[in-house]
Amino acid sequence: MSNDEIFAAAYREHYWAVSRYVARRLQGRADEVEEVVAEVFTVAWRRRADLPATPLPWLYGVARNCLANAVRGYGRRLRLVDRLGNDEAAHGRHVAAGPESEAPGAWVHEALDRLAPADREVLRLAAWEELGAEEIAVALGCGRRAAAMRLHRARRRLRAEIDRLRTAAAQPMSPVDATPRKDPRHA
Amino acid sequence: MPDELELLRRANPVPDDGPYYGDGPLDHRAERRLDRLLHQEPAPRPVRRPRLRRAARPRLLWGLAATGVVLATALTALLGGPSPQPAVAAPRPLVVRAGSTPEPLALLADRAAAAAADDPSGLRKGTHVQSWSMGMSDQAPPVTLPQETIVRWKPDGSHTELVVATDPRHPGRPVLSDEGEQPRPVADGHVISRGTYPPSWSDAPPEAPPPHDVARLRGYLREAASLHGGMTPGELLDAVDLLLDHWTLGARENAALARLLADTPGLNPAGRVTDRLGRTGQAYVHQDRSGARRMLIMDPSTGAVLGLELTATRAEPEYGLDAGDVMQYSAWMR
Repeated sequence: MSNDEIFAAAYREHYWAVSRYVARRLQGRADEVEEVVAEVFTVAWRRRADLPATPLPWLYGVARNCLANAVRGYGRRLRLVDRLGNDEAAHGRHVAAGPESEAPGAWVHEALDRLAPADREVLRLAAWEELGAEEIAVALGCGRRAAAMRLHRARRRLRAEIDRLRTAAAQPMSPVDATPRKDPRHA
Repeated sequence: MPDELELLRRANPVPDDGPYYGDGPLDHRAERRLDRLLHQEPAPRPVRRPRLRRAARPRLLWGLAATGVVLATALTALLGGPSPQPAVAAPRPLVVRAGSTPEPLALLADRAAAAAADDPSGLRKGTHVQSWSMGMSDQAPPVTLPQETIVRWKPDGSHTELVVATDPRHPGRPVLSDEGEQPRPVADGHVISRGTYPPSWSDAPPEAPPPHDVARLRGYLREAASLHGGMTPGELLDAVDLLLDHWTLGARENAALARLLADTPGLNPAGRVTDRLGRTGQAYVHQDRSGARRMLIMDPSTGAVLGLELTATRAEPEYGLDAGDVMQYSAWMR
C-alpha cells in the first residue's frame, strides 16, 4: 500500500475516535470539533510518511498539538464567537454543578480541573481514550517509562483532589463558604 | 469505592458508545475532506464560523462597504486593480417597510396550517440556499462571501453538492471567494466545489426527516443542535438554520415550524420586508443579550421560512466589527 492508501485507511478507521478526543477537550463547543479534526488530518496528511503502524495514539498526539494551536491562534476569533453565540449556556451543560451534587461525574471533573494541564491530559488519555503507557508515550511524545511515571503521579494527585472534595462536601456548609466552587486551586 | 481512574472513566463526557461521534461510516463532510486531501486540493483555511454553521458555506467576508475609506483602501489592495468592480459589498441589514403592519406569528401559523391542509406534500431532502457570511481572519478586516449552495439527494442515498460564488444582487459582477489562503475575486458563477457523495443513511437529526408535529419537531431541533437542556430563542433560530441547510420543507413541516416559532416568546413581529432575493416577507426579530440580533423572514401566505439574518448590535473594534454589520444571511429557496 502507498502512503496515501495507508493514510486513507487510517482516516476512515480513526476519524470518529479523533473526533471524540477533540470533543472531550472542547466540551460545549460542538461546532468547533469538526474544524479542529479537519486540521488534525490535514497535518497528519502532510506527515503521512511518519504514520506508524498503529496510528491512533500518534493521531492523538497530532490532535493535542492542533488543540493547543487552536487555542492560541484562534483565541481572538473564539472570543468573538463566544460573545455572539450562546456558548455561556453551553459550557459545562452536561456537568452537574457543585461538589454538593450527587452525580459522580461532577466530583471527578471538579477534581480533574484542579490538576495541572499535563496531569489532566495523561489521565484523560488513560481513562477516556483508554491508552496504555506505551500508547500514552506516543501521544505525548515521551518515553514509555516517563509516561508510566506521569500517569502514576497524576493518578495520585487526582485521588488526593477527589478525597479533598469529598471531605469538604461532607462537612456542613456555613453561609460563608456556601460557594465552594470559587476555591482557589491548591498551591 | 472504585479507583480514581475508574471514576474518571465513568465521567467521560463523550463516551465511545454515546450518541455523538460514534464509530461508523464517515459522513459526507468527512468524505469530502478526505477526498480533498487525497486529490491535493488546497485545504480550506480553518476558520471559526458562527455556532451551528455546519453546511458548506463561505467563511470569510469583507466588511460592509459603508465602513468607508479604510475598507475601500484594503479592498483596492486586495483586488489589485480597477474594473470590473467585484460585487464585494456586504449586505446591509434588511429594513422593515415603514408603515407596514406587523403580523403576529400565530396568524402565519394559522395560514401555514391551512396551506398544509390543502396540500401537505413538498418535503425534500437537500437544500437550495443563497448565503452571505462574514468571518474574521487574524490579519485582515472582516470579509463577506456570497455563495449559492444546492444539495440534492438521490433515491439511492447518495447526494450531490454544488457551491457557486455568486451574489444575485449584482449579477455578472465578480465576487470574492476564499478558496485557498486568501480571499480573491472570481467570476460570478465560479464553481467553488462540486461533489457527489456516496450513500449515507444517518437517522440522526438533522439528517433524519423532520417531524411535522410541534413537540417532536422541538425535540428534533434540540437534538440537531446538540442541545442537552432547554433551548433559547436564539438557539432555536440557529437550529432552524441548520434544519433548512439540510431539508426543503413541505407544507406540513412549515406549519409545524411556524407553530413552534409562534409559541416561542421573544420573537417579535417587526413588519414587512423585502428580502435580498426580492421576496416579500414578514420579519420577526429576536434580540439577545450578547450583542446579536436575529431576524427571521417568513412568507406571509404560506408561513415558510424565507431567510434568517444575524446582525451585530454592538461594535467590536478589536475585530473590525461595527454595530449593524450583517454577520450571516441565508435565503432559502425551493
